[in-house]
Amino acid sequence: MKKVLMGNHAASWAVKLADVKMIAAYPITPQTQIVEELSEMCGSGELKAKFLKVESEHSAMASCIAASSAGVRAFTATSANGLALMHELLHWASGARLPLVMVNVNRAMAPGWNIWADQSDSLSQRDTGWLQLYVEDNQEVLDTVLQAYYIAEKVNLPVMVCYDAFFLSHTYEAVDIPEKQAVQDWLPPHARENILNTKDPRAFNGLVMPDVYMEMRYKLQQAHEEAVAVVKEAGESFAKAFDRSYSTIETVYCDDAETVLVTSSSTTSPARLVVEALREKGMKIGLMKVRLFRPFPVDDICQVLSGKKKVVVIDRNISFGKGGIFADEIRGAIANDPQAPIIFGYITGLGGRDITPELVEDIVMEAEKNERPERLALWKGLKS
Amino acid sequence: MSDHKPIVYKNCEDVPAVVMSEASMLWNKTGAWRYIKPKYCDKVPPCNQGCPAGNDVENFVRLAEEKKYKEAWLSIKEENPFPRVCGRVCYYPCETACNRGQFDRAVSINALERFIGDYVSTDTKIERLQNDSGKKVAVVGSGPAGLTTAYHLARLGHGVHVYEADEKPGGVLRYGIPEYRLPKKVLDEEIQDIINLGVTIDCNKKVGETIQWEALLDFDAVFVATGAHKSRNVGIENEEAQGVMPGLGFLKKVAQGKKVHLGPRTVVVGGGNTAIDAARTAMRLGSQVTIHYYRSRNEIPAFKEEVDEAQKEGVHFDMLSEPVRVLVDGDKATGIEMRRTRLGDPDESGRRRPVSVEGSEYSVDATTIIIAIGEDTDLEYLPSEIQEERGRVIVDAFGATSRPGVFAGGDMAIANHNVAYAIGSGKAAAIAIDAYLKGSHVSDIVAQTTIGEYGAMSMSHYIEAGRAHAKNRYTKSVVSYNDINLNYFEEQERSKQTKLELSERHQNFKEVHQGLSEDQIQNDAQRCFHCGVCTMCDTCYIYCPDIAIEHKGDAAWGYDINFDYCKGCGICVHECPRNAMMMEDE
Ligand SMILES: Cc1cc2nc3c(=O)[nH]c(=O)nc-3n(C[C@H](O)[C@H](O)[C@H](O)COP(=O)(O)OP(=O)(O)OC[C@H]3O[C@@H](n4cnc5c(N)ncnc54)[C@H](O)[C@@H]3O)c2cc1C
Ligand code: SF4
Ligand code: SF4
Repeated sequence: MKKVLMGNHAASWAVKLADVKMIAAYPITPQTQIVEELSEMCGSGELKAKFLKVESEHSAMASCIAASSAGVRAFTATSANGLALMHELLHWASGARLPLVMVNVNRAMAPGWNIWADQSDSLSQRDTGWLQLYVEDNQEVLDTVLQAYYIAEKVNLPVMVCYDAFFLSHTYEAVDIPEKQAVQDWLPPHARENILNTKDPRAFNGLVMPDVYMEMRYKLQQAHEEAVAVVKEAGESFAKAFDRSYSTIETVYCDDAETVLVTSSSTTSPARLVVEALREKGMKIGLMKVRLFRPFPVDDICQVLSGKKKVVVIDRNISFGKGGIFADEIRGAIANDPQAPIIFGYITGLGGRDITPELVEDIVMEAEKNERPERLALWKGLKS
Repeated sequence: MSDHKPIVYKNCEDVPAVVMSEASMLWNKTGAWRYIKPKYCDKVPPCNQGCPAGNDVENFVRLAEEKKYKEAWLSIKEENPFPRVCGRVCYYPCETACNRGQFDRAVSINALERFIGDYVSTDTKIERLQNDSGKKVAVVGSGPAGLTTAYHLARLGHGVHVYEADEKPGGVLRYGIPEYRLPKKVLDEEIQDIINLGVTIDCNKKVGETIQWEALLDFDAVFVATGAHKSRNVGIENEEAQGVMPGLGFLKKVAQGKKVHLGPRTVVVGGGNTAIDAARTAMRLGSQVTIHYYRSRNEIPAFKEEVDEAQKEGVHFDMLSEPVRVLVDGDKATGIEMRRTRLGDPDESGRRRPVSVEGSEYSVDATTIIIAIGEDTDLEYLPSEIQEERGRVIVDAFGATSRPGVFAGGDMAIANHNVAYAIGSGKAAAIAIDAYLKGSHVSDIVAQTTIGEYGAMSMSHYIEAGRAHAKNRYTKSVVSYNDINLNYFEEQERSKQTKLELSERHQNFKEVHQGLSEDQIQNDAQRCFHCGVCTMCDTCYIYCPDIAIEHKGDAAWGYDINFDYCKGCGICVHECPRNAMMMEDE
């Protein structure tokens, strides 16, 4: 069934299809519509789930942790400062190895108050142990939330699905909604060991001495490493069931490219147009969209970028004192490759400023002109 | 704990991924940490305290919510033989007290009571509770007070003989309150329930006239409730003229089906219930009606809703006016001379006193003048040893008079002249008479049977036939609005009764209030907070972090608290939406 949906409602539909049993949320723009729609679905009875209104995002995450510990599928959604407020509990969810799913609608951090697109909120939760996926359009929102449960439950880790405020959250697109039965066949009911059981009560998340803590961390890292393959497997089996395929990254014209443009989220869409146009003009350029950010698909990325001349990364985010986070991650990933390309890291579009095809082309042409970047963080689109 | 062996993980593979104890934690009796403990205890809902008839309001609302209408009816009938009467004419002080009123609007308790009564009624029988005691009680007067006493005493196994001066039983319910507010059929059916219990109602027997007081001394106890029927005179010139009549007398004639010729213009003097009922009755008989009252609309003592209905129906109000004399042509009244008043300082009742405005006289044409300025008691038939004060028999909280074995209630003995109070006083006396006949002391049972602070009595507490959870009831602590955990409730519209179209209220006595539908009843029953009474909503069960609260199993009522694990945190008590739990010292 096709429906014209805003990105937020595409997320709600996915939650409904995944038969989530507990939703806890605190409203924050631009996320609110996701849970608003879910509360209506719960209210009307079409989604048989417990909808918990809570007093903060901290409580929302705490409730999801509790529900997940009790063995049911749980969901929450947030943005920016709401996500920041959850920080402590994000560690808790991953440390407890809970297969939670959360949507984070990427919004700029305050102050100054800004409700528009910016990835710095979720990227600054990079080290909490959550998987992170960044998606490009509303169809991918729906499909990725479904896949997130598939992945989370296979690796016992929480998954954050991220997409851009307004460009996706509030923009309507045609979305193909899969049949409930097909989803159920593909995503079997949630079943897990190590859950709260009143008949056999155990103590959870207690004190762990130095003699085992490190081993447990090692296992968490192992789970992340294994998750790369699980993300791919999820994408492939999803393709078999629903005819739309996904992976850790997506490449366009990369095979013979000398320069590769790297994007994530909705920035990928104008980049597609630019790459198409430059190819027509004879330029050897390709495009790589990074969908999986945690675990970082190092091998997949290096395979594409090794031996290229230049890599141009567009970041709608910043790690202050260093630069664009995707650019930095790529540098780190490819550093030991003898055929590592020159990496140009551009920062632009912060706080919801448009990233137009003209701007993208401008970035590519500037990188093309210069042999090496002048510095680690190049800014594009600043008022002159 | 000495048998606990330390766990050693030999290698990385051995270490679990999740931080979870390897074995059950049941050994950890968190109850050892506790120094205060939670307890289930039902408290008094304010509606229950507010109902002078002593209805267990919360209970019947809940039973209605569960669609157990018959059980709801039995719950009311345990306390009050007149749910259908009360559901129509009571001024519902229960709703004024209802905590929900401070949240959005009170639960429609009165309409619920009516629905329950109308829904079940005739075919279901009320049972006697106790076998024949061999004792006999005389009841004088068959108004709501007398009939209530008779009803409860019969249920408690005593023989009851009611003496009634009028031709039919019911008192003001029959001869005062008009048909459009209380259909006689409804009244008759509820009285029949009382007769079915074996009560004899002996009509046309006026004590002091047809039979003498001494005859009553053959009984083991006597209850008198002869109401207040002597209409007051204004004491003005020509008051005895033809066309001038007392309000209660007029209503009685209409109720008896006698023809009353009013002519085109009726003036009613007074502002109480009798005045409003007389005006609305006269209006229905086709006369134009004006009510004259010597204070303003703010001070009018009649029930506000009735006053509003009267106005909507076209009754005129001429406030701040007092009668001076009846104007006559021969011995026939042709009108009335009135005088303006203004409001002076408040009197002892707190209402502002009317002050005559000299020289402001004016005359009003009228074919009929109804005087309805109040009714007094007639206590002449009582022996002198029964003490009186200001026209009322002096009684204690249970209706005992100064003469042992003689009890009194209703309008002749209590200050609040309305049906629910009359019923409450009748029940209190029934309890006291039962105790008297059994030789026990009322003082021993008063704490157990009195609900809240205003004197409402509970028959179910008296007979200890309460519900399974009644054991833990606190009969004194009343739940206030602040005790309710409002997080659990959402605003919801109160159900509204339909009323007879105004255009249909002429030349007939069709019932004005038409009650609520079952859907509306369900809506309103669901609005009830169930203040202070456990509904088994499972909130405590869900919130207890130690899973120490357990269902009793087999659908039994209530919960068990496992004190091996209850650590006394009080979360259950804090969360209980309705304050049906409390913490107490170990
Ligand atoms: C017109 C009117 C409208 C009212 N409307 C309402 C209302 O809407 N809601 C409300 O709550 N209250 C209302 N009231 C008040 C309420 O009706 C009375 O408070 C209530 O009826 C008092 O009950 P009772 O049993 O004490 O007396 P009554 O109802 O007055 O009954 C007394 C009975 O005793 C009988 N009796 C009197 N003397 C003797 C005797 N010597 N021997 C034998 N029998 C005797 C009488 O015939 C009568 O049947 C109204 C009152 C009036 C007058
Ligand atoms: S008798 Fe009156 S006060 Fe009592 S419950 Fe009924 S309506 Fe309320
Ligand atoms: S909410 Fe219910 S229990 Fe509370 S006062 Fe009102 S009717 Fe009574």
